[in-house]
Parts: sequence; structure tokens; C-alpha cells
Amino acid sequence: MRFKRLSALVVAMLLLLSMTAVVAEEQVELRVLNYLDMASPNSAEEGKVVWEAFETAHPNIKLVIQNEFNEPFHQATEAYAAAGNLPDVMYVWPSGRSTTLHTNNLLKDLKPLIERDGLASSYIALAMDPTQQASGYISMLSNGVTATNAFFVNMEVLQDAGLEPAKTYSELVAQVPVLAAKGYDTVLMANQDSWVMQSCLFSLIAGRFCGEGWEQKILNGEAKFTDPDFVAALNFVKQIYDDKVIDPATLAVGYGEGPGLFATNTAAYYIDGDWRAGAFITDASTGEALITPERQANFKITVFPEIDVEGVKLNRSNTAVLATGYAINAALEDGSAKLEAAWELVKWLVGKDVLTYRLSTGGLPSPSRTDIDYASLDLEPLQVANANLANDYDKATVVIDAAFEGPVFNPLNDGLQAIGLGSQTPEEVAQNVQAAFEAWQATK
Amino acid sequence: MTINNERRLSYAVLVAPALIIYLAVVAFPTIFSVLLSLTNYNGGLIFGNPNIRFVGLDSYIWMLTEPMGSFYKSLGNNLLIVAVSVFGQIPLGFGLAYILSRKLIARGNKFFQTMIYLPNVISSIIIGVLFNAIIYGRNSVLMEVKKMINPQAVFALNPNPMVPVLVVILWMFTGFYMIIFLANLQRIDPSIIEAARIDGAKEWDILRHISLPALSGVIITTAILAISGSLKSFDLIYAMTNGGPAGQTRVLSLFMYESAFRGAPNYPLANAISTVMVLISVVLIIVVQRLGKAFGTKEE
Repeated sequence: MRFKRLSALVVAMLLLLSMTAVVAEEQVELRVLNYLDMASPNSAEEGKVVWEAFETAHPNIKLVIQNEFNEPFHQATEAYAAAGNLPDVMYVWPSGRSTTLHTNNLLKDLKPLIERDGLASSYIALAMDPTQQASGYISMLSNGVTATNAFFVNMEVLQDAGLEPAKTYSELVAQVPVLAAKGYDTVLMANQDSWVMQSCLFSLIAGRFCGEGWEQKILNGEAKFTDPDFVAALNFVKQIYDDKVIDPATLAVGYGEGPGLFATNTAAYYIDGDWRAGAFITDASTGEALITPERQANFKITVFPEIDVEGVKLNRSNTAVLATGYAINAALEDGSAKLEAAWELVKWLVGKDVLTYRLSTGGLPSPSRTDIDYASLDLEPLQVANANLANDYDKATVVIDAAFEGPVFNPLNDGLQAIGLGSQTPEEVAQNVQAAFEAWQATK
Repeated sequence: MTINNERRLSYAVLVAPALIIYLAVVAFPTIFSVLLSLTNYNGGLIFGNPNIRFVGLDSYIWMLTEPMGSFYKSLGNNLLIVAVSVFGQIPLGFGLAYILSRKLIARGNKFFQTMIYLPNVISSIIIGVLFNAIIYGRNSVLMEVKKMINPQAVFALNPNPMVPVLVVILWMFTGFYMIIFLANLQRIDPSIIEAARIDGAKEWDILRHISLPALSGVIITTAILAISGSLKSFDLIYAMTNGGPAGQTRVLSLFMYESAFRGAPNYPLANAISTVMVLISVVLIIVVQRLGKAFGTKEE
């Protein structure tokens, strides 16, 4: 009897031990490199709503998160890539700043996992299009789509000057002296950072002057940056500065200053990307907003007006690009517990709950999920205007820094500033960019 | 073990830690940087990456021939900073140190000494941000002052954006050289100056025949510090102008940073720029040392 009891006790203990071992085996620790937009009013809550919620729902997965912002994020990514020590899950761009990860195939191909879990139908087609990512395969699950030109309209300023929103470029030019007489700028841009003009306006202008697919023609050698239509696009930038539609003094406006200046009625219009609408809305933690929800009714978001200048091939277009998202380290072995945990995390980060949260807090202009119910959300007027931006254009052309690499777009960025300063002609800029492109191609 | 062997061993043991640290943090990165500048490395794994290959001087050729001429513009700005440092900060620092050491002002010696040195204890980034707010932009302090004088004043871009940068650099580092000169001027035996005074020497004679010759070696040392410091200037300009507008205030270190970390990285180009920066620095320092020798001075 005693022996039986002892045996039962030993068996029970062994069972308990083996169960503990199983539990311990299933514990997975994931290293995550996350981009935390510290300039966004609601980013402070992200830790609780996004990350802690995941850990609570997945007690077997422990997250070791490194949050970085702006340049330190990119430097950390490059350093980890150089050392062969990339985190398990990381925040990535579809190209541009994350080129290293894509072109060196350092990210896991997510297609098999997406197919296995039948997720393709939950996302917009663009997010499932491998050609949208520099790797050529689905190496990241994107948060959404970004329109890089958002033309913010301040009705308070326009009404004070007795004006209506300009529908064409000519109307915009005609408004310059009227607004100046009242002490307002016409169009504000934060042009001190050289990427802003290229990404938020010139890419749209190039698309309208050169037509859809213009970048492919250049990449295939069928066209050049020195061709008349691209030079005409550059000339239009000069015209914008010459007409004082955008004051060259904006070359001294830092990117962080733009929203504050616009919110305080400095200008009638403001050009930025659609992501910038998030800067104006209410910060849930303080209840304060650059533009209060009541005032937001006096603001609109649309695309740059119709360019009624000779040589334009299309109008009602914008520049759109796949937004940032999350990816998995290619080194994680197929079928491993770590890969499964990483995939769970990515699905959560780009899942319905988190994207809905990001949409509601202004952290995301246009989500990649197809199952988000906008009507159920309590959005501020500028968020609604942002969500409706897509109705104002029917064609999307490329953003230059997503289509070309740094050695090509860096000289263009500098050249666009030089046009504003009057230190280079559009023809010179075109020649420089073409020479840079040819030199870059020679290295490929 | 013989005494000689014991001595050798003890030397080796004493030198080894410093040598290992030097090799690890100075020699290895320098050599590695030069090697990297000769490859096509474009990010990702460095060791064991099968795609990395030597491409010779391609990055150097690109740096010297790229259509925007960024290298030459950046080098030009660096040389302006070198000029301001060598021909501005050092003479000014010496002059101020001389005035203070000779007590040529009646009162407030300590106060002026502190005020002139003060910018050195403030972070360059803070000074950069501060002067950005003071000088640049339509809402700058400078613009507000202009509007107080002339309410119709309109903001316009500075056609020479390097000038404010140079003024700030002059203001910021002059105190550093002043302190070096002041310390060395105080080493001059007062009895020599007293004797000169008794012999009828005027202030100019004391400066020319006693103080300057006594400090000639220090001047060479400060010139070397000024040259090397000027060529690696980064933080102040990064915070103040970020190299803009249109790269007009870009310097070599900023060009190197942009090549490595902006857009798709071009590490070989960034390493080529850093190698050339070191070479230029070495050449300029050798020139200064030769000039010093030609004038019979000894580096201190």
C-alpha cells in the first residue's frame, strides 16, 4: 500500500515536472526594434494599448522592445544588420530607409504564412503586392497606404481674406497678393529638410508632367531626367517660388515647425504628407490639440490644385506609397516556436485592433486592413477629412524616394532647394540628377 | 629569468592593456575604414557576406567627380572653418589672454575670463539649437529685432549662410584657446618682464620680444588642435543648419554622415570621405609643423 502511494507520488511529480518543462519550452522571448513616433500626440499610450495587451494575451511570449525615433532608429537598424544581429521583429519601410534589409534579403518572406492563415483577403491589394516592396517579395506586413501630398486648407484665413479654396494653380497665384495684403503666406511648407519638397510636392508634380509610370521609363532606359517633361516639372517648382505661391523663405522652416505655424494661421494652405494630420488632433493624455476639434471644421484636406500649365499630362493625381509596417528576421527557422511567436506578434501589430487604435489616435492615415469599420470610430474632423482624401484623386504616381535610391534622390533633394535659392537652374538640376542616376546604375 | 627578460616582460605587461585598447578602438577601425572604402559593401552582414568585393578606388573617384560637387563644397566650408580657427580663434584667444594676464583692464579680470570661456562648457548641440532659433527663420530672435526697428521688415534667406556659422564657431571656441594661452603666459617668469620694464620696454616690446617667442610652441600646438578640430566639426553645424539650405553649410563630416545614414546607405563613400579627411588633416598638420620649424619654434 505504502509502495503504491509512493509510486503514485513519484508519477505525479514526474508528470508535474514534465508539464513544467513543456511550459518552459513554450516560453519564447522576442527582440523587437520598434519605431515610436515621439512627435505624435498619442504615442505615449502605445506601450499599454499595443505591447502590454499583446503580452497579456500571449503569456508564453516575452517581448524585449527597443523603441527608437527618427535617425537613431535607422542607425540602430543598420548597425544590427552590419553585425548580423537583427532583432526578431522590426519596424520597416517598404523601401527607402530600409533598403539594406530588403536588398540583402534579411527579411522573412511572409507569403507562405499569409497563405497558411488565409489573411490575404483581409488586406488591400497594394499591401499584398510584392512589387511594392524593395525586396521583390512580401517581406513586411504594411500598416496602410500613405499619400505623400496632403494639401491642408485653412478656411479661417481664406474667409478673412474673402477667398475660396483655389481649384487651379492660376487661382492660387491670383490669391498671393490678396493674402499678402492681409499678412498671410499663401502656401506654407517646411522646406528646411531637403526631403520634404521632393516627397510631399515634387513627386506629385513629376507625376503630373511626366505621366504614369515615368519612373519605369527612366529605370528601363527609355527616358531620362533631362527629357523635356521632367525639366518642365522642375521649371514648375521654379515658377512656384517665382510666383511666391511658396515663399523661398520656407527653406528656413524646420519640419517640426510646420504644423505649429499653420495652426496659428500663418498661411492659407499647408503642404505635407497625410500622416501630418495626426499632429493637429487631440492628445488623449492631455486633452490638448494644435487645432481643437471645433476649429477643425474650418480646415480641409485635399490634393494640390489642378496645374493649368502647358505640358501637364494629368491632374487629379497624388503620390501614394505603401506605408511602413512590421517584418520578421529572415534568420528565424521555418516551423520554429520563435517564428510562430514572431508571426503572432506581426499579425497583432498589423491586425484589426491595433490598426483601429492607430487610426483613432491619428497614428495612421489610411489602414491596410479591409475590415475596419470607420463608422464605429469617434474621429475628429481632420481625421475624417484625411480618410476621405483618396476621393480627391483618381490616379497615384510614384514617390521618388521610394522608386530610386539615395545616390539619385539626394542630388535631386539638394537641387530642388537650390532652385528655391536661385543657385541652380532646373536644367542644371536635371543634368546633375541624370549624371547621378547613370553613375548609380553603373554600380549596380 | 634574467633581469633583461624580467624588464621586457614587465614592459610588455604594462604596455599591453593600453596597446590592446589602442589597437581595438583606433588602429583597427582606421584600417577597417580604409578597407571598407575600397569595397562595394552596401549594408547587411559585414563579416562572411559573400556579396562584398573589392572595387578599388571607385568610391574615391565618385567622391571627386560626382555631379553635385558636394565634396568640394563641403571641403570649402571646412577650409573656411580652419581659416576662422587658425586666423581668428588663435589670435583672438591670444590677444584676450594677453590682456587678462597683463591685467590691462582695470577690473573684472575673473569675470571676463569666465564669460569668454563659458561657451565651452555648453554642449555644441545646445548652442546649435540656440543659434538656429536666434538667427534662422522668420520667427527668429534676429527677425523680431529687425521688426522692432522696421515693422515692414520681411524675412529673406541669408545669401551667405556659412557666415553665421563661422561667427558662432569663432565665439564658441576662442575661450578655449584663451585659457591655453593664459595658462602658458602665467608660466613666464614675472621678473623677466619686470627687468624689461626697468630697461624701458613698452607693452608692445614685451609682447613682441618676450610673450610671443615664449608661446611660439604653444601656438603651433593650438594650430594643430584648431585644424584637426575644424576638419571634424559636425555637432554644431548639424544642430544649427543641418548642412542646409541646399547643402550650402555642409561640411565633410556631415557629407560623410549623410552618405552613411541618409537614404540607402553608401558606406564605401562615407569611409572614403573619412579617409580623405584624415589625410587632409595630416597634410595640414605637417605643413604647420614645418612652418613652426622654419621659424625655429618647438611644439609644446
